[in-house]
Amino acid sequence: MLKDITFGQYYDCKSLLHRLDARIKIILMIIFIVFIFISKNIFSLLFAAMSVFAITIISRVPFKLYLKNMKAILPVLIFTAVINIFYGDGGKVLVHFWVIEITTAGLYRSFFMALRILLLIFISSALTYTTTPNDLTDAIESLLSPLKFIGLKSAVHTLAMMMTIALRFIPTLIEEAEKIMNAQKARGADLESGGLLDRIKALIPILIPLLMSAVRRAYELAEAMECRCYNGGEGKTRMKQMHLKKADLFSFIVVALMCGSIVALNILL
Amino acid sequence: MAILEVKNLTHTYSENSAFINDAVSDVSFTVEKGEIIGIIGHTGSGKSTLVQHLNGLLKPTVGTVLFEDTDIWEKPKEIRKIRSKVGLVFQYPEYQLFEETVFKDICFGPKNMGLSGDELKERVLEICKIVGVREEYFQKSPFDLSGGEKRRVAIAGVMAMRPEVIVFDEPTAGLDPSGRENVMQIIKDYREATGATVIIISHSMEDMASLVDKILVMNKGRLYMFDTVENVFSKKEELESIGLNVPIVTRVFLELKRKGIDIDTNVFTVQRAIEVLNSLKEGNGNA
Amino acid sequence: MNNLIEIKNVTYEYTEEDSVYAAVKDLSLDIEKGSFTVILGHNGSGKSTLAKLINGLNKPTFGDVIVDGINTKDEETELTVKRKVGMVFQNPDNQLIASVVEEDVAFGPENLGLEPQEIRLRVDEALKAVDMYEFRKSTPHRLSGGQKQRIAIAGIIAMEPECLVLDEPTAMLDPKGRAEIINTLLKLNREKGITVVLITHYMEEAEKADRVVVMNDGVIIDDGVPKEIFKNVEKLKAVGLDVPQTTELLYELHKNGFNINTNVISIEEAADEIISALHLEEH
Repeated sequence: MLKDITFGQYYDCKSLLHRLDARIKIILMIIFIVFIFISKNIFSLLFAAMSVFAITIISRVPFKLYLKNMKAILPVLIFTAVINIFYGDGGKVLVHFWVIEITTAGLYRSFFMALRILLLIFISSALTYTTTPNDLTDAIESLLSPLKFIGLKSAVHTLAMMMTIALRFIPTLIEEAEKIMNAQKARGADLESGGLLDRIKALIPILIPLLMSAVRRAYELAEAMECRCYNGGEGKTRMKQMHLKKADLFSFIVVALMCGSIVALNILL
Repeated sequence: MAILEVKNLTHTYSENSAFINDAVSDVSFTVEKGEIIGIIGHTGSGKSTLVQHLNGLLKPTVGTVLFEDTDIWEKPKEIRKIRSKVGLVFQYPEYQLFEETVFKDICFGPKNMGLSGDELKERVLEICKIVGVREEYFQKSPFDLSGGEKRRVAIAGVMAMRPEVIVFDEPTAGLDPSGRENVMQIIKDYREATGATVIIISHSMEDMASLVDKILVMNKGRLYMFDTVENVFSKKEELESIGLNVPIVTRVFLELKRKGIDIDTNVFTVQRAIEVLNSLKEGNGNA
Repeated sequence: MNNLIEIKNVTYEYTEEDSVYAAVKDLSLDIEKGSFTVILGHNGSGKSTLAKLINGLNKPTFGDVIVDGINTKDEETELTVKRKVGMVFQNPDNQLIASVVEEDVAFGPENLGLEPQEIRLRVDEALKAVDMYEFRKSTPHRLSGGQKQRIAIAGIIAMEPECLVLDEPTAMLDPKGRAEIINTLLKLNREKGITVVLITHYMEEAEKADRVVVMNDGVIIDDGVPKEIFKNVEKLKAVGLDVPQTTELLYELHKNGFNINTNVISIEEAADEIISALHLEEH
């Protein structure tokens, strides 16, 4: 059901990762992902996996929540793994059937890709679980701020404002969709049976009221924003200032060491 | 004859749900055919959850709902059939309007029941007459109507299914006084024309006193009281303890009593109040 | 007299399907600084249009609206007028912008370009003034209607306006939420001296106001202290307004030949009126 969707996957607890500046977390995540894909051999990749595992423990977020995210992406993971099996060149041929050939290199490659994607999911989950959606929005706006100097100032602000409003209204609209669905069901609407075409047709009585309501809300919200002196972000200040702390510097060093180790393992082994 | 019977109804929501505070636990009651029942209770007392079980929008976690002595979930695949027998008008029903014209929108419910052609048209015309949707509105877009008129059309859309029981969740919310009066009139007119059983959720004790036969009081998901208007409104302290109250006119009479006047305090409407005070005046012998 | 708002012969016209309608017709009204004014009227009486005229969201077709010496027609001072006259609307959901309470309240002051420390101070103070400080980290989505509406009020008073205009802020709330809002407004008016203009169709909410203005069909048909206004039950009913049940009771008694005053609202006063009209003995 719609109402079971929990939007914004923030998990509220206190950990070192929760305390870090959201901007630092985004940058470190990107760097780390790059290095995950750089790791060439089994040793460096396993080291990266151990590092990611350590990060999930530091986050103090229950491990089953990470697994939940993994489950959601499982079909993609399997698909990638299967495709990669057939792309391996060289190595010993294990199975040969018609044009299909499975080699040790293929299996190796498929395992590598699957593990990389898994780590990618874990590390990005660690970011979203430990950062509130609002902090994430602010951090993205802040990181994009250099674009202001090339004449994209209002674009950056608009993007951030859109994200803020979307975060605020998605739960409201989900709830509203649920209400409209129930109201039409109470009028005998059949949403569960029939062919594809019937089902699409059955959505009209839900989508039209939902759209009308979204338009009405948008209009009213615009008026309310005008009344609160919103002026397209011109001269706007922020209550929450982002400051880099010692912990941020420390985390930077730790990630640098991890990445250094991956490179070293790549070269040495 | 009992038309609806709710037995040991419990409904719990999943932990993440926004409705978690609106659960219902172990509620049982019986509604007789033709009765008007009022449901009162705080926001979050489980009222809205309770009524969504009556037409099978929600399935009880535990317990049963019987319509004319048959469990409505006996054949889960046919649950949609109960919805034309037990109509439910949600809060702010005007937000469910979607068709190009008023007439088409009112047709939606009966059409879903399988009506078509002349039968459908007749049915809709009949209901429009009862609730006062005027003919010049038929071809208008429902989105062009005023707030009060939109609600009239939306209510007609549910009534057009000719339900034997019709449930209203705060039917007058957000309307101005004349709009509120119109909605109350529509409910009375439908009942008069069809003899339907009516269940109304409302925050207005005054409306309850003048309209309903029995009141069902919900508190924290449980049935707190289910009794006649007189019996419910004579328990001011108990109602106050759960954040509810008695009609204002009753409070005036309780105040008179408190000031030492020997007076009957079972007065819940202005009309009754005038009668009581008139007889008191005559008995006192002064003009 | 010290008038904060002066509405001078204002007409507001709008066009719909090629016809011109006047929502407000040649209306004049002064609002005194620090006062609590209730504007009563049914839907379509022009009261919402009037509200938007006061803070410049609507500009008069004819006439002028002067806020603290500034004409709302003046484009250069548009933001100043909006800062001086804060506006709260009917649907609390559609005026909250951020998904954390304190960040929403900060939205106005941030737009004014205040220093971060100053914003923090104002946000905390505004949330305390509406008794929502403990919810500062909550998400509005999970709050009740009354709580959301109080957050909306906090968002406005954090801009430190001279005047609050509220357009049917209680119409979508339950009785508890309604009481919360009225008490909050009375407190802001008495303790902080904020001028309040409350637009409503609930007459009970007018009981504690300094002044009640009744609107119908774009014009003011009555203006005075609550008790004076409530005397005339028939006139109020004629323009589609509801009277509280106490007033209704006394009015009906009056019609039934009782010699009784009808201009009271509170239960205690009503009981006293009945006792004296019936010459009853209190034991």
